[in-house]
Amino acid sequence: MQPSDGAVVRQVLAGDVEQYRLLVERYRAEFGRYAVAAVGDRDLAQDAMQEAFIRAFRSLGSCRNPDRFGAWFFRILTNQCRNAVARRRDVAGLDGVDPPGGERADAALERQELGARLEAALARLTPEQREAFVMKHVDGRSYEEMAELLGVGTDALKMRVHRARDALRATMGEQP
Amino acid sequence: MRRDRTFTEDAHRYLDGEPAGQLGAVERSAADRLVAETRAYAERLEPVGAALDEAVMAAVRRQPHAGRRGAWGWLLTPRPVRIRPVWIPALAAAAALALWLVPSRPDRRIPEVGSRAAAAPDTVYVRFELAAPQARSVSVAGSFNGWQVGALPLVRVADGLWATTVALPVGEHRYEFVIDGTRWVPDPTAHAQVDDGFGGQNSVIVVGPKGLVRS
Amino acid sequence: MSAIRGIIAAAVLAAAPALVAAQQGDVEARLQARGLPADLARDVAAVATDAAARGVPTGPLADKAVEGWAKQVPAPRILTAVRAFAGQLADARDAVRAGGLAEPSGDVVVAAAEAMGTGLGAGPVASVVRAAPNAAAAAPALSVTAALAAQGLGSEQAATIVVRALHSHRPMVQLLNLPSLARVMHSEGLAPGDIGRKMLEGGDDEGVEHASPTRGVRPPGVPPSGQRDTHRGPDN
Repeated sequence: MQPSDGAVVRQVLAGDVEQYRLLVERYRAEFGRYAVAAVGDRDLAQDAMQEAFIRAFRSLGSCRNPDRFGAWFFRILTNQCRNAVARRRDVAGLDGVDPPGGERADAALERQELGARLEAALARLTPEQREAFVMKHVDGRSYEEMAELLGVGTDALKMRVHRARDALRATMGEQP
Repeated sequence: MRRDRTFTEDAHRYLDGEPAGQLGAVERSAADRLVAETRAYAERLEPVGAALDEAVMAAVRRQPHAGRRGAWGWLLTPRPVRIRPVWIPALAAAAALALWLVPSRPDRRIPEVGSRAAAAPDTVYVRFELAAPQARSVSVAGSFNGWQVGALPLVRVADGLWATTVALPVGEHRYEFVIDGTRWVPDPTAHAQVDDGFGGQNSVIVVGPKGLVRS
Repeated sequence: MSAIRGIIAAAVLAAAPALVAAQQGDVEARLQARGLPADLARDVAAVATDAAARGVPTGPLADKAVEGWAKQVPAPRILTAVRAFAGQLADARDAVRAGGLAEPSGDVVVAAAEAMGTGLGAGPVASVVRAAPNAAAAAPALSVTAALAAQGLGSEQAATIVVRALHSHRPMVQLLNLPSLARVMHSEGLAPGDIGRKMLEGGDDEGVEHASPTRGVRPPGVPPSGQRDTHRGPDN
């Protein structure tokens, strides 16, 4: 039987650093798709997630409820993902790759490939809307679960998801 | 904020998996299409791979003992430079937090950190930094200088890092960096990003008299 | 300047086209000086005139056009954006006036428009304006509200924080530090909702104790450790 988050955290704080791997495996599995969908680039998402795990390790002593490491870690991860998205706008352009934002999204919208248009349209959402939409429709979480992870009420989360859907619908148009 | 083609309340309930009234054909079709697109996207999605685990552990083994510093000890510890965090000055946040947490009473005299009798200044030096290794020139343009490109140039300070320090009045400022005179990019370290009304974003900072803390 | 002339322009629009033309000329001249082509400058100035008739300050509209031109946005899109902005400023102005400022300056109206852009309703905007000790404080109060909301605190929560702070006579300098504070807390892993709660409570849990970097030296008024926050939701 797998040890609880709290047990692992306490062991790590007591000095058994290698135990941290259990948390890394657990939450990479749990949030790895979310990170890629929130950032829109697998490599950058990987970097963000790595940075998040390192920061979580460094400030592990300030995790007030070790049994709920996941939710605490999730917030650190979300912050890193947002930073990655913001930086991406700069880096992508400099390498001579497609400019960020408008033009790239329009090009992808021309393609008929199912799922590709959504990927492009996601980039146009605000960070909160994108995160909420991904949690709801890609991860398939309930609003209650989302509320626990984000520390935001379900009403506010519903509004974010609804706005995200409306924005996606508008961006992707009515074509089949 | 786009107002054309939004889902109805019922469509949202349907998509939330809650009991909903009858949906019209168009609404139903649009909702199902969104579901299909999302499913297709999710199926193609490759999550972060297991190679991450060892990379994290390798970094973690090099760290000092986990959680030794408290949550806010972070503030004062120098960290390896990647995107360099900008603390102007480093104690500003700790001081601001301490002052904020004291309930304000009119007769209470709260000594300012590094106490001088003078009133708080109403212009503050703010440092702008951007990692742009392939740029030939970088400037900052915004509400504080009439959006003039090139009027506030940054200089190269380290490998790929550009910076400048500008005296700004306290309060809110909106701006972006301009790379090579034509490419406008936001500042990922700013407090917030807002819609600029032209399909892009402006970075927003709110400068207090003690300076600015960004990520 | 422009708000008062706007009122006069509205009142005598039919009777004194020369005055209207003068104001429109100001905006037009300013835009041309910044390099906008003549017809775009003229079109934007016309939008500004209409807006002024509704009491909307024209300075921010000219600023928006200048911004668009600097960003090399195509002229038609600049015009569309300026029109949309004028609408937002009109709504914002109504909200600010409802808060008790009869002739708000351009920066208050812009700050209110930004706050409303983050989702804040007219009612809370009016509350923030009403809570400000004087007209000069309204703009920074609204800017802080908008920034906190954009940082994820939620517009209602941000407004409540600012209103309460103003009601307890916290100096504006402290309010201006709040977005920086929120940023620090966020990078430490606190969710925006928790950040907002901490700001409202003034921080009364053990986060405060860990927060002090100067162990043993406590700022005056901070309570000693051992006080636990007993109301804890499903967070860390």
